Amino acid sequence: MSGNNEHNEHHDDGHGGGHHVNYFAIYVALVVLFLISVAGPEVGRITGLPWITLITAFGIALVKANLVIDNFMHLKWEKRLMKWLLTTSVLLMVLMVAGISPDVLNHEGNNWENLAAKEATARGLGGDDHGDGDHAEEGGAAEVAEAAPAGFSAAGSFGTVCATCHGAGGQGDGPAGMALDPKPANFTDPAFWEGRDRARIVTVIRDGAAVVGGSALMAPWGALYTPEQLEEMADYVMSLRPN
Amino acid sequence: MADTAVDVHHDHHGHDDHHHGPTGILKYIWSTDHKIIAMQYLFTGMLMAIIGGYMAYVFRMQLAFPGISVPGFGQVSPGEYNALITNHGSIMIFWVAMPVLIAAFGNYLIPLMIGADDMVFPRINRLSFQVFFLSVIVLMASLFVEGGGFGGAWTSYPPLSAVAEYNQTNLGSSLWLIAVALEFVAFLLGGINFITTLMNSRAPGMKAYDIPLVAWMIVIASILFMLSVGPLVAGAVMLLFDQTLGTGFYDPARGGDPILWQHLFWFFGHPEVYVVLLPAIGITVDVIATFARKKIFGYKMVLYTAVATGVLSFFVWAHHQFIAGIDPRMANVFTVTTLLISVPIAEMCFVIIATLYGGSIRLTTPMLWALAFMAEFLIGGVTGIFLGASGADIYFHDTYFVLAHFHYTFFPIAIIGSFCAFTYWFPKMFGRMMNDTLGKIHFWGTIIPFNFIFIPLFVLGMGGQHRRIYNFQHFPELATPEMFQLRQIATISLLIMIAFQLVFFYNMITSWIRGEKAGKNPWQANTLEWTTESPPPHGNWPLDRMPVVYRGPYEYGHPDREEDYWPQDEPA
Amino acid sequence: MANAKPLATLRSATGIPTGRLAVWWVLASEVVIFGGLLGTYIMHRLGHPEWAEAASHTQTWIGAINTFVLLTSSFTAVLAHQAAEKGNGKEAAKLLGFTILGALTFLVIKSFEWANEISHGYTITANTFWSFYYTAAGLHALHVIAGAIIMGVVAVDAYRGRELHRVELIGIYWHFVDVVWIFLFPLLYIAK
Repeated sequence: MSGNNEHNEHHDDGHGGGHHVNYFAIYVALVVLFLISVAGPEVGRITGLPWITLITAFGIALVKANLVIDNFMHLKWEKRLMKWLLTTSVLLMVLMVAGISPDVLNHEGNNWENLAAKEATARGLGGDDHGDGDHAEEGGAAEVAEAAPAGFSAAGSFGTVCATCHGAGGQGDGPAGMALDPKPANFTDPAFWEGRDRARIVTVIRDGAAVVGGSALMAPWGALYTPEQLEEMADYVMSLRPN
Repeated sequence: MADTAVDVHHDHHGHDDHHHGPTGILKYIWSTDHKIIAMQYLFTGMLMAIIGGYMAYVFRMQLAFPGISVPGFGQVSPGEYNALITNHGSIMIFWVAMPVLIAAFGNYLIPLMIGADDMVFPRINRLSFQVFFLSVIVLMASLFVEGGGFGGAWTSYPPLSAVAEYNQTNLGSSLWLIAVALEFVAFLLGGINFITTLMNSRAPGMKAYDIPLVAWMIVIASILFMLSVGPLVAGAVMLLFDQTLGTGFYDPARGGDPILWQHLFWFFGHPEVYVVLLPAIGITVDVIATFARKKIFGYKMVLYTAVATGVLSFFVWAHHQFIAGIDPRMANVFTVTTLLISVPIAEMCFVIIATLYGGSIRLTTPMLWALAFMAEFLIGGVTGIFLGASGADIYFHDTYFVLAHFHYTFFPIAIIGSFCAFTYWFPKMFGRMMNDTLGKIHFWGTIIPFNFIFIPLFVLGMGGQHRRIYNFQHFPELATPEMFQLRQIATISLLIMIAFQLVFFYNMITSWIRGEKAGKNPWQANTLEWTTESPPPHGNWPLDRMPVVYRGPYEYGHPDREEDYWPQDEPA
Repeated sequence: MANAKPLATLRSATGIPTGRLAVWWVLASEVVIFGGLLGTYIMHRLGHPEWAEAASHTQTWIGAINTFVLLTSSFTAVLAHQAAEKGNGKEAAKLLGFTILGALTFLVIKSFEWANEISHGYTITANTFWSFYYTAAGLHALHVIAGAIIMGVVAVDAYRGRELHRVELIGIYWHFVDVVWIFLFPLLYIAK
């Protein structure tokens, strides 16, 4: 345990022995680089050259990281295998970014564009002073409803959601309903309305028919509608009721 | 020392110098012995396989006989159907294939095969199982909370998975995600052990090319896992925040992107399939060498192609997203890489065939499983080529063709591979021989019905049947009597297959209790695990008699020898 | 409770001691975790120039102080390693103590910073930039906390002259945590 040389071997540590590192010098270098990187944006601003900021910020980060990794972590003296391992991890991340960027970084490409992202960007650049974005606390249902630019229409929604089974006229004759047993409800049939009221219609649209003892083939659709829209859908169905 | 049904893990007390851990029942909970931890993983995995299989039974009954009240479950609602398929997939991959092939057999075999007394970090090993067990509990809990289990498919794409209003399983989806994350942590911890132990703790004289291939494969798989799961961990944190805090990481209206999740998921998801494939190939190769009494035709070939496959597997992920709206130019790139990756796997098939050729084949139960692995996986691999071509995939994506393809790959990996390993190493693990006749009955009763389940699904897929549909009666063009007949054939075959698993359990239990005693090396194999007691004592060998290695693991049929095998630790 | 260390721990076919080998593998997996998160952030940030407004509200000077704190703590960590190599457990424990102090300082400063930002309405859901900011810095802070705890355990052992090789190992992990921050700092504060 004697001696004041830095590489007293108490354990077979596999270091290419005899590395002499002045840790304090490295530390000073790190601090100096750090100060430069903080000053960088100011220089970039004054000279009007934004790339100075990028170089000082990320270039210096790379240099600092290298200093820490090589000297503090002793990677410089480590077996080559470990250098390969870490290089591989980093390269995999480069691969990942390269593979994902065309879809996520870009908002348009060969025959496609990401309208929602473009709109978000336009909103952010054009409007808000606070830059605190849009739709901060909204729930999902409202967002779905608002995503339809033309506004909500119960008749339109009936056509896209309900008519496949219940038929365009609500007569239970939609194409997908053919194979079902029991058949989908025929809203124009007076017999259907015996014992059924508006409240039940709302419940069935929202929670499915099974909860009121009906067939599980009528699935719950509540996720698609806000409470107000649900009422509008029920009104529409009521409007199909004869006399 | 008589065996009882309770005390099945003999601890051969005696002349060995190893410090013993806790005693009694606590031994099994707090043990750091790699063999006990392996058993814990193995039986948890087996239990999860039963649960996952039960889920398959329920949803297949619903598909073949829509609206029926399934015996042992009841009527299946749409939400329940989605939860069943989601959890079936997640369970089979994360809680059956990985724990059994990697954690159980890796833990059991690696120290034994390299002549070590345990893993290098026994307490981290124990911790990894505890975290894994926690993940099981969280997952099971997710099925019983209000709203039910998560139903957004094992791929969990947002916005369905991110917004509770859409998936309607607020608690369930977060618990599912946390369970998956915990499982990842468990395997990261375990992976450190496998990799470090294999790299460092080999017996004296054991060079890199003397390591049995199954050990290599498990370690390569662990490396693949560790390097690919990171982005998904990050992505899962982001998804969890979307679910619970209302952030917009995957919401395009708020600057996020749902396609990002798909990329992060599949960047891991594709290497993941090779994470489970490589150990299964390793098991197959080792078993074939033993029962063909012949050296592996190209040990280094298999090793290098495994590495090549691992590397390539990072370059193919977006073939899962061909029609998700990715940039078509990327689709071109990924088609090429995907078709390329079939080459190393094919090469491994050739090595196996060449090994068998001219061998002195012993058709034991493990050998049957190994051969079946090759045959069935071949079908799976070949059908993957159709899917890898982005043009063809436009039709096939999200049809049952995909589903049949991946069952023809996953079933060999997870089920056939597991049975192969289990029947082969059962004598070592429990000191008894399994009944070979029952083993063969179970084998045929599994393999034949398996094909009758999934070939109809290929046909249905080509006919346009979509995945993840709860009731095909809703689609008149898919509701024809012929199509329903195919669904029913598949489902009835599944019932037959499930029935034959009872043979396996009967065999396992009776062999355990009163099977013929196994001795050290019933298969006359070469690798180091066969040089110690069956089952091995704590510490595997007495400290003063740890093995020293003199040759490679596959010296079968050596011309200079009278015996047709040459154990690694026998001095020249 | 624990079994004696297995013989397996003492072997080293690669020439790298087992503990250090394991730490490098842990780092490799951490590189892909943080790399995944930061890569994702970079892609989104480049695609959404409108986040510049939100990003302008991060306080560079607080970030800078924290960077300096972490750099210094890395320095004390490597000095601790130097002391441990000489077999001086008490000195190593003292230096590890300084490192932990640095970690705590970092966390305290960060809590003030975040409290300040949240009180101004810059919450995790305010804007996706802020979502990334809190997630990335938060994941890093979690690693700082975990590292500090493990470092405490190692320091206690080192003080008693035991397991001195672990000083180097926790040091390597700690330097990695520093390196992550070296990249986070420009990403979130300077080149925003």
